[in-house]
Amino acid sequence: MIEKAHQFFNTKIPAAPLVSFRLIFGALMVFSAIRFMYLGWIEDHFTEPLFHFKYYGFSWVKSASRFTLYAIHMLMILSAIGIMFLQGIAYRIAAVVLFLTFTYTELIDLTYYLNHYYFVSLICFLLIFMPSYVSPFSNLKNTQIKRSSIFILKAQIAILYVYAGLAKINYDWLIEALPLKIWLPANDNIFLLGPLFAWKYSPYIFSWAGMLYDTFIVLFLVYTPTRVWAYLTVILFHSLTGILFQIGVFPLVMIGIASIFFSDAWHVKLVRFFVKEKAPVRKQNSLSSNYTLFNYLILGYLVFQVLFPWRYVLYPGNLFWTEEGYRFSWRVMLMEKAGTATFYVKDNKTGREGIVNNTEFLNPHQEKQMAMQPDMILQFAHFLGQYYESKGMHKPSVRAEVYVTLNARPSRLLIDPNVDLMKEKDSFKPKNWIIHYKD
Amino acid sequence: MNGKGIKLPLPFCIYKNMKKGLFYIIISTLIFTSCKRDKDIKNQDNFDREAMLKNYAEELIIPAYEELNLSIQELLKSINSFESNITLQNLNNVKLEWQKTYSVWITANAFNIGPASEQGLNKSLNEEIATFPISESKIQSAVETGNLNFNDFNRDARGFLALEYILFNGPNTSEDSVLNLFTIQTNRTLFLKQCAQNIQTRVARVLSEWQTTYKNEFIARNGTDVGSSTSQLYNEFVKSFETIKNLKIELPLGKRPGQIQIEPKLVEAYYSGLSLDFLKIHIQNIERIYLGQNKNGQDGLGFKDYLETVTNGKELVVSTLKQWENVNNTLNKIPTNAPLSEIIRNNSEPVEDLRIELQKHTRFFKSDMSSLLGIAITYSSGDGD
Repeated sequence: MIEKAHQFFNTKIPAAPLVSFRLIFGALMVFSAIRFMYLGWIEDHFTEPLFHFKYYGFSWVKSASRFTLYAIHMLMILSAIGIMFLQGIAYRIAAVVLFLTFTYTELIDLTYYLNHYYFVSLICFLLIFMPSYVSPFSNLKNTQIKRSSIFILKAQIAILYVYAGLAKINYDWLIEALPLKIWLPANDNIFLLGPLFAWKYSPYIFSWAGMLYDTFIVLFLVYTPTRVWAYLTVILFHSLTGILFQIGVFPLVMIGIASIFFSDAWHVKLVRFFVKEKAPVRKQNSLSSNYTLFNYLILGYLVFQVLFPWRYVLYPGNLFWTEEGYRFSWRVMLMEKAGTATFYVKDNKTGREGIVNNTEFLNPHQEKQMAMQPDMILQFAHFLGQYYESKGMHKPSVRAEVYVTLNARPSRLLIDPNVDLMKEKDSFKPKNWIIHYKD
Repeated sequence: MNGKGIKLPLPFCIYKNMKKGLFYIIISTLIFTSCKRDKDIKNQDNFDREAMLKNYAEELIIPAYEELNLSIQELLKSINSFESNITLQNLNNVKLEWQKTYSVWITANAFNIGPASEQGLNKSLNEEIATFPISESKIQSAVETGNLNFNDFNRDARGFLALEYILFNGPNTSEDSVLNLFTIQTNRTLFLKQCAQNIQTRVARVLSEWQTTYKNEFIARNGTDVGSSTSQLYNEFVKSFETIKNLKIELPLGKRPGQIQIEPKLVEAYYSGLSLDFLKIHIQNIERIYLGQNKNGQDGLGFKDYLETVTNGKELVVSTLKQWENVNNTLNKIPTNAPLSEIIRNNSEPVEDLRIELQKHTRFFKSDMSSLLGIAITYSSGDGD
């Protein structure tokens, strides 16, 4: 059995899908990094805010100067081009640099967390370990790689889709058609499609179609006879979400990446369409016959990816409300949630309590994200406590009154407004100062 | 290219077996026919955002700027008379025109979009002409040196509340001593005039853009995305509402962290002592924007009507109006027999009560409303599918 699994992973397959995946992914990274700079997001996201929300365990990651950040983005672009075309140790270095630069920019501020950025980070990470002896200039008809390389990329894509689909199997999404019942009519002015979005049954159709799409699309992509139609559905689906929602480059990323399911011959054509064959086939790594350890690592990675999204079951209460175990689990566009958070800082010597104006410290995006997520509320409270202590307040305590509305329900208190947040610490343990949502 | 001509890397080239596609064709046909059908059965609840924007433009925004523009001209006239004949009566005339004009401005202070939004070196119109608290020292030194500049970064030394300081000097200054100041300080009248002219220039520019090009642009941007008029108007509406609590009430109440006592002097319009009148106009205007009501009380399409057409919107409107009543009740309980700064100094409780009710109200306007309407408020990408 184990032997068979190793055999399966070690089977030699044509290198073309990997080469074209690198071309497509690299090009998308270049485009996305340029777009990021062009939109002025280095300033908006990284250099202008006075305060950054940190990822748990990554509070040591600091933002950098504007110049450094531009340099890092340039490096990101160069390394993205590197993974498209380079070979050997140069490829490996490019992949490492791409992973580090991209992941660094993601870790600067939790506000901008997106599942798809996490996905891109993971793909960059996996690319580090891909066979480095191939490039678009190789003779693709003769170059082979072990199957595990392509398998793990496909598996990662499958996990993203299937988990995104499973997450949609909930009462609000399927029965109430929420949040689409909010989001679709808000787009009723869109050219041609507007009336469709305004139609009262559309939220139900879109909810169910979205759930079925996410859950099953990979199956249809894997199965040869349905592949073309599945891919057309991929294009249709992501174009539609791209029109509907403000989700930047991700429709493009998913449409590009899903092409990995096409046949080897298709990939050879794609690569040859853009790049001429040049270099002779390099001598393949002599270790290529023994990948036992590597296979175990792949298995470990996949087991983690499969299990980690389930951690939410260990927390009490409604996941959508508490968001404990919500991130890194492919829960995309699942709920409409917004909050109003008011912070009170008390001087423990004078007993005088002041009310914070959030906009003094946060940009609108930061405030919006913070006002509905308990761990960010806690971080901001700690920041305020330290800030006002440095301004001369005596051992300030900080409490927050946070009203949150979830999927259009009347807003209610998210956390205990009397708890001194300065005394609470973030951890993987359940936050007992969250007020649980009960109907 | 590999010399064999262009071959498109389309998936179609490879897969010829499209029998399975029949299923998809049927599905797509179904979807498309339902699309067509839906054009006929247009959703009854479908809200006409364009009509709402038209109402805002024609009944609230443009009339506010028009009235403001006329009022400033009256103010300038009164200043001219005062300049040529510095008498107590003429001074009181200017004060009266100032009060009228500033009251009108409050009905326009939530519309910092389009031509009134931040542009280049200019901040929003509200910041340019209505910043407070003003800097007494900057204004004093401008008057003393005659160095008058109303286009620099010193926004706390110009605008309506700088005019107020020049005209009233302080709640305890007698009319005669203010008049006396005008006769001693030759630049004081000049400041008054140029400051008012600066306001006039800025307002006239905004008004003319609304009257010429911007109105149609405003109505045409009928989406709910970030650049849409609904989103921009909503954001400014909330900002104006929050200013009432965060700035006009919490600041003089000493409610900012780090403030160690009440600071009555930080009320809006401290020098004239008219703070409460202006506060009432402001709160009433927020209500009019929410309802879509013009100054004559004529009700048109507004945020409230929009809310009533969306999921759970009716409930939100009921809760909002209920809490708004509490806001108005506490507002009306604030004594009117003394300036707001004095009331805060003597017994801040009624003002504190208003603060509490405004605090309770914030979520209805801020997060609940935008969430139910699906209004985007930031440009950054959201979590995509």
